[in-house]
Amino acid sequence: MADAAPAKRTPSDFLKDVIGRRVVVQLRTGTTFRGVLASLDGFMNIAMEQTEEWKDGHLSSKLGDAFIRGNNVLYISAVKKRG
Amino acid sequence: MASAAAGSTLLPLALVDKCTGSRIWVLMQDNREIVGTLRGFDEYVNMVLDDAIEYVTVGTTQTEVARLEQMLLNGCNIAAMVPGSEASPFREPAE
Repeated sequence: MADAAPAKRTPSDFLKDVIGRRVVVQLRTGTTFRGVLASLDGFMNIAMEQTEEWKDGHLSSKLGDAFIRGNNVLYISAVKKRG
Repeated sequence: MASAAAGSTLLPLALVDKCTGSRIWVLMQDNREIVGTLRGFDEYVNMVLDDAIEYVTVGTTQTEVARLEQMLLNGCNIAAMVPGSEASPFREPAE
């Protein structure tokens, strides 16, 4: 591989890095949750803070703290660090 | 299995492992496709992808819905994975 590829990153490495950061959690239903990832477990159950619920590109509610059951999670994406 | 000659068997997870560091297309169980650079995976084939693009197909129209610098994709909803394509391998080329 010619490009300077970063070392292999397993899902658990990723999760260690993103706890405490702003994330986007996409559910299978299409609903998106944006907020700060407080914690999560091996089932991808998620606890979030400052949670916003987005549907069809519109902010539908501000939830504060929220729990998301892992079976509904399609993906977790880290929001770019500022600066 | 005639094609699986002794010593040349490629296990499914060995194929995924060979794709680490390169671009892959992932077909989800619903109408989504995700393309990204595979950084790693685990025994459930949860995948860490960098510079990912998410597409949703409605009818015959495929639209980009998100660009994600870094993501963890839940293996539970993955249907198929194809290594190294720049155009979606899951769609017929336009006439």
